[in-house]
Amino acid sequence: MIEIKNVFKSFEQKEVLKNISKVFNKGETNLIIGRSGSGKTVLLKSIVGLHEVDKGKILYDNRDFTSMNQQLRKKLRQEMGMVFQGGALFDSLTVEENVRFPLDMFSNLTLAEKQKQVDFCLERVNITNANKLAPSEISGGMKKRVAIARAIVMNPKYLFCDEPNSGLDPETSLVIDALIHSITVDLQITTIINTHDMNSVMEIGDNILFISEGEMCWEGNRTEILHSNNQKLQEFVFANKQYQRLRDDKINEQ
Amino acid sequence: MNIFNQTGKYFSLLLKVFSRPERHSLYARQTFSEIDNLGVKSVGIVVVISIFMGGITTLQVAYNLTNPLLPTYLIGLGNRDTLILEFSSTILALIMAGKIGSNITSEIGSMKVTEQIDSLEIMGVNSAGYLILPKIIAVVVMFPFLYILSVCFGLIGGMIVGPAVGAVTATDYLNGIQYLFNPYYVTYSLIKCVVFGFLIASVAAFFGYTVEGGAFDVGTASTRAVVNTNILILVWDLILTQLLL
Repeated sequence: MIEIKNVFKSFEQKEVLKNISKVFNKGETNLIIGRSGSGKTVLLKSIVGLHEVDKGKILYDNRDFTSMNQQLRKKLRQEMGMVFQGGALFDSLTVEENVRFPLDMFSNLTLAEKQKQVDFCLERVNITNANKLAPSEISGGMKKRVAIARAIVMNPKYLFCDEPNSGLDPETSLVIDALIHSITVDLQITTIINTHDMNSVMEIGDNILFISEGEMCWEGNRTEILHSNNQKLQEFVFANKQYQRLRDDKINEQ
Repeated sequence: MNIFNQTGKYFSLLLKVFSRPERHSLYARQTFSEIDNLGVKSVGIVVVISIFMGGITTLQVAYNLTNPLLPTYLIGLGNRDTLILEFSSTILALIMAGKIGSNITSEIGSMKVTEQIDSLEIMGVNSAGYLILPKIIAVVVMFPFLYILSVCFGLIGGMIVGPAVGAVTATDYLNGIQYLFNPYYVTYSLIKCVVFGFLIASVAAFFGYTVEGGAFDVGTASTRAVVNTNILILVWDLILTQLLL
């Protein structure tokens, strides 16, 4: 479980996060949604410590991340996995070496044991026959899946995904969503996904936080989102006329 | 104020670079890879530049040695001392700042803008240490070797060009390069090489590591890294020459 309490963050004079509090549960796909520039990436990067918060607390299973020194943070980070927007795979390493990198750095496993773990993770994300390829030789969807494999290779307790579906076609996006959701449930980890993809919201949104202009605007799940009276949320989620019709149909059915 | 701000950030980064590595074996492997990438792969350009510069310096010394009372072996001596004292250390450092420095800045800068550095940090890796320390060690270790190579090939360049154009006989040239040799000149230049190697790698890495934005900013950072490294090399050349000679 990850809990954020009254988090504030500013860049120079601009206040980007204003008093955000939220609990992200274990075994659920927690989504942070909002318009571009609403502060969701800053929030995610603040949670993982890439940005220091100005005020507030971030607790990982009741361990206060904000007051930890660098050594303790480094230790805690070995329990985290993160999938970046562009994959952030290391260009100089092959697919297999990318996935093995955290094991090489932090584990005392033998080469054979590491290989077994790498193969297991690549299989888990449905990557086959690409072990020796460079990141530049694989597609965008494969890059995301390799990034997920690398994020889970150390059996993390916490998984973070920054817009995992950006730049992907709808079909591949669904595959990525399903993959993240099943990993979350199977491994019982705390997953936080930063997205503005409405398909993801409707497919895997167990616990959703909507932020607007740095402020917490609404929280709930994918069913509650249909019935919410929050004007900003409705404008954001149902900006598309097709989605509006689908919502109305769904409500009428009920 | 900006210069103090940048200097402060540079030394903060160095503190991070020289902190304890997470896994020595991985850092060692990375260092050997950088020795190959930054050092061994620079041998070709060093050899070519040194042969030409040795030949050109020999011609220029011969052109200026118009007094018939001066022995022609001084042409060899002039070429040798130019190479040992200044060309193979300082001028080569300026050239390497362009080749190696821009390589380091663009590599680290690209990693920064594509979030690969953030990715290392999230894993719990000291990204500055893992990416920069092997590069500094590689350049500091390899630069003295490149210097010695440059001196040797510069002398060979003079040996080819001098007798070929009739400026000096091969015997006189060989006598000249052995005449009044002061080994301390080599020590002095090797010290300079270590300092220049450190500057080339660390300043270039600093500009790459602190880049923000996209591909355009990486290009700008590479240019700034080369310009700043060149200025620092010349400043330290002056300081070390005053201190050591």
